[in-house]
Amino acid sequence: MLCADIECCMTFLQSCVEAGVLSRRRVKRGRAAWAVLGCLVSIPLMAQGRGEGSQSQDAALRAFAPLLEEHCMECHEGSKAKGALDLRKLSLQVEDRALRERWVRVHDRIQKGEMPPPKKGDLGEEERARMVSLLGGVLLHVDRAEVARVGRGPLRRLNREEYQHNLREVLQLPHLDIRDMLPEDREGHHFNKSTETLDMSREQVTAYLEAAEVALRAAMVSGNAPLKAATYRAVGTDLFPSVGTFGNRQAMFFAKGDQAVKVEAKVSKEEEARRAQDEELELALFRSASWPYFGYPKRFLARVEGEYRVRFWARAVRQVDGFKLVPADLPQPMTFRARKPSGPCIAGDPRATGGILDIAPEGAVYETTLQLKAGETFEYSLLGLPVPLAFNVKGGPPTYRFPPFPEGGQPGVAFRWLEVEGPLPPVQWPPASHRVLFDALPVGEEPADPQAEARRLVRRFAAHAVREPFSEADLRVFEGLVLGRLEKGEPFASAVLAGYKAILCSGPFLYLREPKRPDDHFAIASRMSHFLTNTRPDEVLAARAREGLLRDRSVLRSEGERLIAGESFERFIQNFTDYWLNLRQMRRDDPDVRLYPEYRFDDYLVESLEQETRAFVGTMIRENLPATALVASDFLYANDRLARHYGLEPLVGSRLRKVSLPEGSPYGGLLTQGAILKVTSNGTTTSPVVRGAWVMDRLLGTPPPPPPPSVPAVEPDIRGAKTIRELLALHTRDESCAGCHQRFDPVGVALENFDVLGGWRERYRGLEEGQTVKGIDRAGHEYAYTMSAPVDSSARLAEGTAFANIYDLKRILAANPRPLGRNLLHQFTTYATGTPVRFSDRPEVEAILDACADGGYRVRDLLLGLLESRIFLGDAGCR
Amino acid sequence: MLSCVARSDRRGFLRGAGVLLALPWLESLSSVLGQSAEPALPRRMLLISNNLGVIPRFFFPTGTGRDYELSPYLRELEAFRGDFTVCSGLSHPGVTGGHSAENCFLTAAKGPARSGFRNQISLDQFAAEKLGQVTRFASLNLGVNIDRANRSLSWTRDGALLPAEDNAVAVFRRMFVQGNPEEVARQLHRLEERGSILDALMEQTRRLNRSLGAEDRVRMEQYLTSMREVEQRLHAAREWESKGRPTPPEKEPRDVRDKRFFLEKLELMLSMARLAFETDSTRIITLMVDGLTTGVFQLRENQNTTDGYHGLSHHGQAEHKVRQLQDAECQQMGLLRKLLEALAGTREQGRRLLDQTMVLYGSNLGDANTHDNTNLPILLAGGGFRHGAHLAFPRDANAPLSNLFVSMLQQMGVEAESFGSSTGRLNGLEPI
Repeated sequence: MLCADIECCMTFLQSCVEAGVLSRRRVKRGRAAWAVLGCLVSIPLMAQGRGEGSQSQDAALRAFAPLLEEHCMECHEGSKAKGALDLRKLSLQVEDRALRERWVRVHDRIQKGEMPPPKKGDLGEEERARMVSLLGGVLLHVDRAEVARVGRGPLRRLNREEYQHNLREVLQLPHLDIRDMLPEDREGHHFNKSTETLDMSREQVTAYLEAAEVALRAAMVSGNAPLKAATYRAVGTDLFPSVGTFGNRQAMFFAKGDQAVKVEAKVSKEEEARRAQDEELELALFRSASWPYFGYPKRFLARVEGEYRVRFWARAVRQVDGFKLVPADLPQPMTFRARKPSGPCIAGDPRATGGILDIAPEGAVYETTLQLKAGETFEYSLLGLPVPLAFNVKGGPPTYRFPPFPEGGQPGVAFRWLEVEGPLPPVQWPPASHRVLFDALPVGEEPADPQAEARRLVRRFAAHAVREPFSEADLRVFEGLVLGRLEKGEPFASAVLAGYKAILCSGPFLYLREPKRPDDHFAIASRMSHFLTNTRPDEVLAARAREGLLRDRSVLRSEGERLIAGESFERFIQNFTDYWLNLRQMRRDDPDVRLYPEYRFDDYLVESLEQETRAFVGTMIRENLPATALVASDFLYANDRLARHYGLEPLVGSRLRKVSLPEGSPYGGLLTQGAILKVTSNGTTTSPVVRGAWVMDRLLGTPPPPPPPSVPAVEPDIRGAKTIRELLALHTRDESCAGCHQRFDPVGVALENFDVLGGWRERYRGLEEGQTVKGIDRAGHEYAYTMSAPVDSSARLAEGTAFANIYDLKRILAANPRPLGRNLLHQFTTYATGTPVRFSDRPEVEAILDACADGGYRVRDLLLGLLESRIFLGDAGCR
Repeated sequence: MLSCVARSDRRGFLRGAGVLLALPWLESLSSVLGQSAEPALPRRMLLISNNLGVIPRFFFPTGTGRDYELSPYLRELEAFRGDFTVCSGLSHPGVTGGHSAENCFLTAAKGPARSGFRNQISLDQFAAEKLGQVTRFASLNLGVNIDRANRSLSWTRDGALLPAEDNAVAVFRRMFVQGNPEEVARQLHRLEERGSILDALMEQTRRLNRSLGAEDRVRMEQYLTSMREVEQRLHAAREWESKGRPTPPEKEPRDVRDKRFFLEKLELMLSMARLAFETDSTRIITLMVDGLTTGVFQLRENQNTTDGYHGLSHHGQAEHKVRQLQDAECQQMGLLRKLLEALAGTREQGRRLLDQTMVLYGSNLGDANTHDNTNLPILLAGGGFRHGAHLAFPRDANAPLSNLFVSMLQQMGVEAESFGSSTGRLNGLEPI
C-alpha cells in the first residue's frame, strides 16, 4: 500500500473495502473442469527462458492447479469473485514480479489457515500443506532465479539526510546544513530508504547541484586568518530584551537581595546605562519559552554562522508571594533556543541548541556551546514551566494571566551575568574543510602550474570523496571538465570547484548499490555504514573494504559491533525510529487542551517522551535485549517529568535514566510508551482501530491487508453509535467489517487505558456527560471537563484468546517472541537494503531466527545475523 | 436548505466581482527566443484537485444537458453558470485503491495500490513538454497543506514525483523578486557552468551504464534523463534570467503557514495562480489541496472543526460531521467563484482572461467516505469552451476522465490525439 498515513486506518473502511465483497452472494460450486486448463495453458509459456529446473516447476503447478480448483474457485471466480480476486484470471506466470507478489499473498493466506475460511473446513491439514509446498516451491524457485539474475534490488539514491551526512564527512563540516535545499524524500514501506520511491527528477538533480555548490563554498575560506571571535557580556537589565514579559511579574522580574525591584521601562540614558552594569541585579524567570515570548539577552546577534560559547551564572529559585525569591529544592532544567530576534511573533522556527542544563539551587557558572546562524540570537528556555497565554476578557485586548503558584512557590531560574564568545575559530587555518579542497595551496593564491595542480587536486579530491575508487576513464572526465573551465579563463578555485561539484553529483556518489561480486567489499562497506550510521564508511571500515575483508564473518561481526557501540550509531537510532515508529510526527497533533489541560504547552513532556523511546530502542540493540522488549520490559527510561507522567517515584533532573518498574505498573516495553501512544492518537481522542492497526503493522509485523482494487465499498453508517465500544461492536456485527477488524481492533482496545499522551486513565474524559472537573491549567486558563464512561480494555484476539486488560495482552504477546523477532528482521531488512523481505529471503530470515532462538531472539543478535546473511551481502554471502 | 455565503471576513486575496483589470501587453518568450510568432492570445490551465473530494449529493446536479438544476455547491457558482461545465460519470479506469489514487488524478496511471506501481507523466507536464518553455516557468506546481514528500499532481515521464510548492510567499518571490545585477550575473555564470558539469556527468554515466544489470540501468536512465532535462532547460533559463522579472501587480502577501488556516491558505494559493496568469509567468498550474494532512482547521472566525479534514470526510453520515464538511466544501466553492470573478474581471486585449483560462476542479475520490474512486466530481470552467451544461456519463460504466484531458490539451494548442486512458475527446464539450 502506498498510503502510509496512519490516519487512513482511522477510517472504518479501509478494511470494509475488502470485506465489502466477503458477504456477497456465493458462486455456485463445481464449474466444469475446463477452467483448470485455463491455468494450465499458461504454464508452457512459463518455461520459456527459464532453463534448468523449469520442468519440475511446471509439474508442481500441474499438481497445484486441481487443488486450487477444488478448494478456491468456488468463491474466487468470475466477476463476483470474493475480495475481487478472480483466480481464474490470475495468471500463474509468476515470472512476472507483480503477479508473483499476488500469488505470494495467496500462498500466505492458505499457509496461515485464513483461506479457505475455516468454517468451510474441507481442506485437510495434509492437503493444505501440499498446496503450500507446491505453490511455495515454485515461488521460491522463480524468485531466487530472479535475484540471481538481476539482484535483490536495484541501485538506491541517497536520501537527503544521507547526502548531507556524506557531504559533512567529505568536507569536514560537521554542522553543514543543506538538507532543506533538497526535496523531501518519498516514503516507501514506511522508510525514507526505499529503492522504489527514491526517484530522480530534474528538480532533484538541480537541487543536488545547488546543495553541492553551497557545501563547497562553505568549505572554502577566503581570508588569511579566521574571523576574530567577538565577546559579549550582559549584566543587569541587559540580560533581557525588555523590563518584563508576557505573564507579568509572576512570569519574570529583576531582583535584588531576593526581592523584586521596580524597573521602569522609560528612563534616562544614564539610568539605563547604570542598571545595565548593576552586577547585583538578578534576572528571575518563571515561564517556559513559547509564544508569546522573546527572552533573549539584549543586543546580541551572531554575525556569522558558527559555534558560540556561552557562560553564565545562575541558580534555581522559587518565587513566593510578594515577588520574593527563596532557594529551590530541586534543580531546574533549561536549554537555549536559537532564533531570529523578531519579537513575540517568531519568524523561522526556534530550535533548541546547546543541550539541556540542570540549574542547581546553589549559584554556579554554567557553560555550553551553541550553534547559531548569521543574524540569530538565542533565548532562555526553561523547561516544564507554565506558559502564560493571551486571555481576551469579553473580546477585549489580550491580557496575560499566570496560573496560581504550586505549593511552596513557583519554580524558576535567576541569572546574574552571561557571556558569549564566538564564532569560535577553527583549530587550524585554513580550516580542515579548506584543505580538503586545496591541500596546502595558500588561501587566495593561484598555483604556478594551474593545469598540473588542477589535475593533482581533482584526483586527490576524487579519491577522498568517493566511496569506491573511480575508474581511470571517470577521472579523466572530471579532469577534462576542470581543464576546460581553466581554458575558458575561469579562476583556478572556481574551475576546480566545478570538478568537485561534478564528483559530488555523480552516479557513484549519489547512488548505493548492492553487493554482487565476491570482491564487492566497497559496496558492503557502504551498505553497512548507511545502515548503521546513516553515512559513508568511516576510516576503519573503509580500510577493511580496501583490504578485502568484508566477506569474513568475524570481521563483519566485529565491525558491526564497533559501529553499534560508536557515537554515530545515534544517527541510526534517530532516523530508524523517526520512520519505523513515526517519531518524526511527535509534534503533529497538540493535545486537546479542553480535555487535557495538564498537557497544555508541555513541550518538555513531549520532548522527554521522544527521547525516552529513542533511548529505549538504543538499549534494545546495544544491550541486546530479547525481542519481547517490543511489548514488555521491567524497566523504562525516565527523568523528572516522565516519573510524574508514569506515576513513578519522583526523580530529580532532566537526564533520562534507567528505572526499574514497580510491581503493578502498566508500563514497560515499547508498546505502552507515551511516544507510541501519542503518534497513534490525534490529540483529542484515541481510536482502538488506529492504534490496533498501527501496532499490528509496526510492532507485531502483521499489517492489516491492503484493500483489493476495484471493489465497491460498504458505506458505513455510524449514526447512533455513541461510545467507542458501540462503534467497535458494529465492526463485529457486520460480517463484512469483522473479517479484518477482529484482527486489529482488540490490540487497540487493550491500549484504551492510555490517553493521548500515554497517561494512565480509568475513565474517559468528555465535555458534557459525567462529573465535572474544574481548575486552572498551567497557562492560567480555566478548564472544565467531565469524567465520563469507564474504560473497558477487555477483548478477544482473532485466534480466540480473551484478555482482560493490557497486563494480559502483554503476557500473551510476550509468550510468543518469534513473530516479534521476525518483525524486527523485516524492519531492519527494509531499512538496510531498501527492499523489503522477498519471498526468496524467507528461508534466510527463518535461519537467522533459528540461530537467535536460544537467547530469546535478542535484538543485536538479529541485527548482526542480518549483516552476515545473503540478504545483506548478496549471493556471494560470507565465509 | 443549504446556503453558505462565503465568509465576508476573508482576507480578500482574490479580488471580488466588479473590479476590472486590464493586462499590459504580455511579452512572451517568442520574441525573446526569436521563435516564430505564436497565436496572439495564449491559453492557460489551472488544474485543481482536492484529494478528499466532496460530498457527492451536494455537488452533482439533478437533470442533464443545459436545463439541469444547480446543486447546493454549484449554486455558489450560479453567476457563472454559462461559464462552466459540470461532469458526472467520469473516472480513471483502473485507478483504484482509495487514497493511493490521489497521485494519479492527472496521470491516469493504473493500479496505484499495487506493489511495484510506477506513475506516469501528468497532464501538466505533458502539456509543458509540448509547449516548451515559452514563459518564465514552464509550469507551476502548487499545494495547500501538502505532504510534499509523498503527494503531488505533477509527475515526470518516468514516474518521479515533482514536489509541490506550498509556500505562497516563496511562489510570489520566485515570480517577482528581481535580483541585483551582481546576483543575476552570478546566476548566469552558475547556469553556464552547470552546462559543462552536466556534459561531464552525462558522459560518465553513459559509460557506467554499459556495465550495469537491467534493473540498475533503469535507475541510471532516470538519472540520465533528469540531467538531460535540466540541460535542455538551461538555454531558456539563461534567457529568462537575463530578462527582468515582471513588476508584481500587488504587494507581497503576508504568509500564512499554520495549517489550521486551511481556507486562507487555499485562497492565498489561488491568488498566486491568478497572479501567475496575469503576468504570464506560466500558463500551466497544478494545485493539490491536501486534506489528509489538514488536521483540525478553522472553519469560521472563532470556530474550529471538531475533527481533522480526513476524519470529517469519513463522516459515516453522522450529522455533525457532514455539517462541518459541507461548510468547508461550500466555502471552497465560494473561493473558486471568487477566482472566476477575478479572471472574468481581467481583460487581455479586450477579452476576459477567464475565456483564455481553463480552470479544472476535481478530485481523485468520488466519495471519500467510502474511498470510492469512481464517479469523480469534475468541473471545468472557462478556457473558451461552450459551457453551461451538465454532461452526464453512465454512473455504472464511467467514461474516461482522460477524454476531458485530451479536449483540454487540444484547446491548449497541443496536438495530442490521446492521453492516459483516453478513447477520444470528451463527448459534448466543444470549443466555441
